[in-house]
Amino acid sequence: MNLNANQGSMEGISNAWLGFWLPLGLICITIGFSLTDRKDFRQRLIGLTLLLAITMLVLYGIETSGSDASEIALLAVLFDMTPPVSLMAIGALVATFSGPSPVGQLPRGLRPMGFLLAISGLIWIGWMLVEDPPGARSDGIGEKIWATWVLVFLSCIVITSTVSAAFCVMMGEKRNREALAMSSLALIGGGIFIRIMGQGSTDLSTLGWHDIYWDQIPFIIGGIAGSTFGVMGFIWLVYIAEKRAPDPDVVAPLTLEEKARVRELLEKNLTIKEEG
Amino acid sequence: MMAAEDQGPWWRIIAVMIILIFIGMNLIVWQYSGGANFSEILDDLMMGFILAFGITTLVLLMVSVGSIHRHMHWREQIVGLVLFSALGISLSSWLYEGDMGSTDNAIYEIRLGGAMLFNALTAVLAASGLVLGLLLALITGRHHTNDELLELESTQGDVSLQIPE
Repeated sequence: MNLNANQGSMEGISNAWLGFWLPLGLICITIGFSLTDRKDFRQRLIGLTLLLAITMLVLYGIETSGSDASEIALLAVLFDMTPPVSLMAIGALVATFSGPSPVGQLPRGLRPMGFLLAISGLIWIGWMLVEDPPGARSDGIGEKIWATWVLVFLSCIVITSTVSAAFCVMMGEKRNREALAMSSLALIGGGIFIRIMGQGSTDLSTLGWHDIYWDQIPFIIGGIAGSTFGVMGFIWLVYIAEKRAPDPDVVAPLTLEEKARVRELLEKNLTIKEEG
Repeated sequence: MMAAEDQGPWWRIIAVMIILIFIGMNLIVWQYSGGANFSEILDDLMMGFILAFGITTLVLLMVSVGSIHRHMHWREQIVGLVLFSALGISLSSWLYEGDMGSTDNAIYEIRLGGAMLFNALTAVLAASGLVLGLLLALITGRHHTNDELLELESTQGDVSLQIPE
């Protein structure tokens, strides 16, 4: 076994371009593959490219564990956030499908458990703010990425739950209970936000939270606008391409043979009852 | 009748509400932090805009390349996306290089900015998923009287037509 060759390949995977950004690019191409026709050969490559991308990301994570690169800090934060976010997602699904759902109905008794799981996920994130964070999130770039995640998450919770509550009041028919639940969620999110801005958290002072807020939130708001503009640019390109496309050729009328076949099919599948 | 029809255009109220919440949150942080540097905020907004534009068009380019097919007008789409992504990423690289003084530092900042945007995307998806998931669970929990149309059985395509004279 050639150990040097193995070591060389591992050094390659610890490069962020190869170990992090290339797999993300592969995932984008895989999404493209999934949009092709069912009979297209690329449909068979979806599993392979996805598996390759995930393997590269995992190897990169293992190889660079403990380093202070932004990509590894991001992976560490996402890894830490996966359990509470999964809990929230599973809880919401269980609560939805254990209600009067027309498809895939679960036992009714699971409904309170679904809500409990979803709220537990939120409480878990709140608890992560008051306990000492692990190394990857405790200082440097990891701390910055973690704090930004929390600020964006809380801001988004406040905005979406307030908007949802408003929708329940304006669009729904006597949806006061739902509006109240959404308002409570907005208040919880807002309360956590005000607390960390006013008193800081276990590992990060108020000054740190304020710095990260003023540095990163404008960058992300600009990013949201830039992404929207990029998508609009894409729509414009597709529109231009369709507009420039030549008119489709005039389709020749049916031949006598084709007409007879159509008539035969119609008579076979439809029973026409004439009145009178 | 839908409640929305009675209360005028709903989107104005929602838009005003989002803006008010956004201003309120900024005022809270402003109050606690004792102010902020406006020119830096504008710089960050612009850098985020340009970098996200470049990255989004690059992502759309890769998805388009992955899904290319013979009926697609690929020239406009692919060439346009290549130009957009090259414009966005090279402009951010040029601006960062002006700030940081070297290409290596500019590349580091682009990597950090890309990671930060991806980070924010996951946070937005998690928060929206939680709120909308709970909303869906709450809304679908209500019992309704049976709809008679849903009780009808399919004829499996066996139909007869009556054509009036």
